[in-house]
Amino acid sequence: MSCHVANEHTAARPTVLGLRAHPLRVALVGQPNVGKSVVFGRLTGRYATVSNYPGTTVAITSGRALIGAEVCSVIDTPGVNALDGAISEDERITRDVLAGAGSDVVVQVADARNLRRALMLTSQIARFGKPTVLALNMVDEAWARGIVVDAAALEAELGVPVIELVATEGRGLPELRAALVRAALPTVPAHTDPHQCAAWAHEVTGRVRRVSALSLARIPEALARATRRPLTGIPILVVVLYALYLFVGVFGAQTLVGLLQDGVFGRGINPAAVWLVDQAHPVPWVRDFFVGEYGLITMGVTYAIAIVLPVVATFFLMFGFLEDSGYIPRLAIFCDRIFRTMGLNGKAVLPMVLGLGCDTMATMTTRILGTPKERLIAILLLALGIPCSAQLATILGILGGVSFAALATLFSVVLGQMFLVGWLAARVLKGERSEFILELPPIRWPRLGNLLTKTRLRVWWYLGEAVPLFLVGTVMLFMLDRVGALAVISTAGRPIVTGLLGLPPATAQILVMGFLRRDYGAAGLFQLAHTGQLTGVQAVVALTVMTLFVPCIANFLMIVRERGLKTGLVILGIITPVAIFTGAGLNYVFRTFGVQF
Amino acid sequence: MAEGAHGVIVKIHAYDEGRAERLLSLGVTPGASVTVLQTFPGIVFLCDQTELAVERGVANAILVQPQETRP
Repeated sequence: MSCHVANEHTAARPTVLGLRAHPLRVALVGQPNVGKSVVFGRLTGRYATVSNYPGTTVAITSGRALIGAEVCSVIDTPGVNALDGAISEDERITRDVLAGAGSDVVVQVADARNLRRALMLTSQIARFGKPTVLALNMVDEAWARGIVVDAAALEAELGVPVIELVATEGRGLPELRAALVRAALPTVPAHTDPHQCAAWAHEVTGRVRRVSALSLARIPEALARATRRPLTGIPILVVVLYALYLFVGVFGAQTLVGLLQDGVFGRGINPAAVWLVDQAHPVPWVRDFFVGEYGLITMGVTYAIAIVLPVVATFFLMFGFLEDSGYIPRLAIFCDRIFRTMGLNGKAVLPMVLGLGCDTMATMTTRILGTPKERLIAILLLALGIPCSAQLATILGILGGVSFAALATLFSVVLGQMFLVGWLAARVLKGERSEFILELPPIRWPRLGNLLTKTRLRVWWYLGEAVPLFLVGTVMLFMLDRVGALAVISTAGRPIVTGLLGLPPATAQILVMGFLRRDYGAAGLFQLAHTGQLTGVQAVVALTVMTLFVPCIANFLMIVRERGLKTGLVILGIITPVAIFTGAGLNYVFRTFGVQF
Repeated sequence: MAEGAHGVIVKIHAYDEGRAERLLSLGVTPGASVTVLQTFPGIVFLCDQTELAVERGVANAILVQPQETRP
């Protein structure tokens, strides 16, 4: 394969592309939330998760793109506000891409509205000595707000190609591909003093940008204002949460689950499977393996597809909508004060809300937080209290059928426990919290295409991730049951499960399986509740314990990967007793005061 | 500064290295124009074209020369 770009431009510029022994590597670099992942998707045809808030990309994604006649490697990097000085972990990842041999050409993606900041970053990128192209993205939004950048004048100022893009619509992408061979070192001030760089960026911006007071984006601007003011923001939050409850808790967890569990599986698939297996006249244990009490089809597949999938899918759809609208970071304004007492700042609302999707992914997102102490507290709280979508599903499914008071009790106990543990952790752990400084993305109407792609990919990811574990879990349960170990576990767990927590003995095995995947355990509880084996009080106690538990093996492994085995074990050692004792306390209080749900 | 006030940044008191650098990297530099959008429950201001939410301690460190409302 031809591995160099031959072009008269390159010959004229000694700093540019020479002979290489590998494909041309193009790094997409830029401030957070400027659309690097959209450009990446357009160039490579691969989808990298796109949302409307800073910090969606916290790791490197790479893909291949055909540029001219050459296959290039394109690298999507986490957004950076700065490349030197006090930088966060995700910013360091990007700096390493720039500093090392990992990239040959840099495409700086910039928000056309924020040229001044983009240029400050350009001056820092230039120091890595890589040929650069400047891509001004979202020029349509800039125009709508009365901002016009003279690309030709900017090109003359910087000496690098300046391309105007509307990446979501693919406008300007052919020009960007064509411009890669003209990539050059930008002409920026030689000094490294950040204040002088800022002054330079200010001057250049003044020369090439025109801002008029006329704005065509009145409606999004009014919405943006309404979401951050307390008088309108809090009612909006209530409406959003209620909509989430209606769509996920009622439509997903009740209507769709009902249809699938009782209809499709209860009357269709499961009887058919039983009939099919019986046709083969198998020995009893083979029959049980597939369609028995712990059967692969009657339990494993039913749990994964009928109980959890509908809720996960509806949740991801709604969640994607909120992500793309730019709403979530605005919650940080309201949360800042509360989070500060837990040694965090408002920015931590991002990983916390993301945890409702998947705690494992959210654990990675803690990289956007400023200090090691904050990251540790956030990881601890995620593992302790934030139920992931699949688990939220079963909580809503079980307690939605009990009463609203039961649901409110569960959430207030869990939130209270998180607050307490966070408050203690903030005092015990050494280190500082960082100051709350957060950029708010503009409010936008989500793009249906991105929303559907993102939801589809997440549902596939769920199916790929959870279904095998559900099946493995079922097989394990089946085998444990066969060798009589389930009975042993139930007996061994009896003092805690029936004594301390006041739950039926069968819950012991569910709690054990809950560690494999918290949602799998929760689905087991769902089954118990569905068949009337749990009282309201028992459901609240069991779900509280399950919610406070470490979410799943995957989350534990991610904690170990991010923070090391020792920290992982310490977190496990804190969470397990907290979960059990909270459940015990709750059970004691309920029984003492005769609470019923 | 009150809500709706408008001005130009004169100076940023650096209480530590990190704060100054972070504000700088977000475009909060002397010479940049700012408009205060709200002060409760958190402080939100527009600096050039960037909407930023900060805690009070940070906002107090940004020294602004007030100007008449926008032309």
